[in-house]
Amino acid sequence: MFFALIGIAIGLAIGLILPFTYNTAYSLYISVAILACLDSVFGGIKANLENKFDTSIFISGFFGNAFLAAFLAYIGDRLGVPLYYAAIFTFGGRIFENFASIRRILLNKRKSKTKVEK
Amino acid sequence: MNNTNKPNIIILIFSILLGIFMAGQFKLNIPTLTPVTLKSIQMTKNEIIALNNEIEDLNKLLQEKEEQINILEKITSGDENIIDVLNNELKKYKNLAGFLEVEGPGIIIMMQDNMAEGAFGEEFELDIIHDIDVLRIINDLRGAGAEAISVNGQRVLAISEIKCGGPIIRVNGKSLGAPFVIKAIGDPKLLTAAINAPTTYGYALKHIDQVYIESTTKDNIKIPAYNGRFNFRYAKPIREGD
Repeated sequence: MFFALIGIAIGLAIGLILPFTYNTAYSLYISVAILACLDSVFGGIKANLENKFDTSIFISGFFGNAFLAAFLAYIGDRLGVPLYYAAIFTFGGRIFENFASIRRILLNKRKSKTKVEK
Repeated sequence: MNNTNKPNIIILIFSILLGIFMAGQFKLNIPTLTPVTLKSIQMTKNEIIALNNEIEDLNKLLQEKEEQINILEKITSGDENIIDVLNNELKKYKNLAGFLEVEGPGIIIMMQDNMAEGAFGEEFELDIIHDIDVLRIINDLRGAGAEAISVNGQRVLAISEIKCGGPIIRVNGKSLGAPFVIKAIGDPKLLTAAINAPTTYGYALKHIDQVYIESTTKDNIKIPAYNGRFNFRYAKPIREGD
């Protein structure tokens, strides 16, 4: 959890310092891809706390979900149907689900710790 | 130690990557993106078309104004006399108001009561030309872009009345009797179509009421000027800025 927060903070700092930008036309696709990546990171944290973390699953999910979300948004644009809503709802919902599991795991850990201390 | 930290490090690395992407997105400073639907695209298209039309109109206006400036410059430089320019303008406005005789291509329409033997003694209402028939024909002509219209030598203007006067009709306060000759200047093809095409009022008159109505196109028709006098007693122009 804290590693992820620190990582995002470092990434933001690097991104803001480095002078790279991309075309505004792609911003919709990239924002959907970012959502997918965020979901993957949350999933990774959850798996790590459950001691089920698998590097290959995490990396493939990170890139695969991002590309799929961006592709879906692109296809939706071509067809005139806002398909990126599918990505937003799925990944948005999953982020909250993952966060709920993470919270439970952390709170349970704290409870068990306090019990041990008692 | 290495084994337990490995996932954390991988998450850290990918979080950094995610942060870099997010930073790129922040730097773009995009104002809220509204979803683009087919409807909104269509609406935007219509807006663009309307704006383009407006631009065209404004360009035309600009050209007109430039021409006016040219004329004014000629006056100041002494090439043209101001009286001539004003006279030309007076002529132009007189023409637009219908106070000048005009000529041009157009059609002549003859309208005559139904003179067939069998017609008498039947429903005579249908066999004679009424004021409303003339009025509707003239309306159709106007719809087809007629620029000048006359009925039996009486110029029909915006202020002209066409009224029933028993066996005659009254136009511009003058009594006119059948046959009625309606002259109209405009695109002859369009004017002919406005009278003869099926579903028009002229077609119905000819084929259902069976009154005599015939149109001929001519290359040069003369339409007389409005010969009455009138002044606006009640309508006053609104001055801009009042």
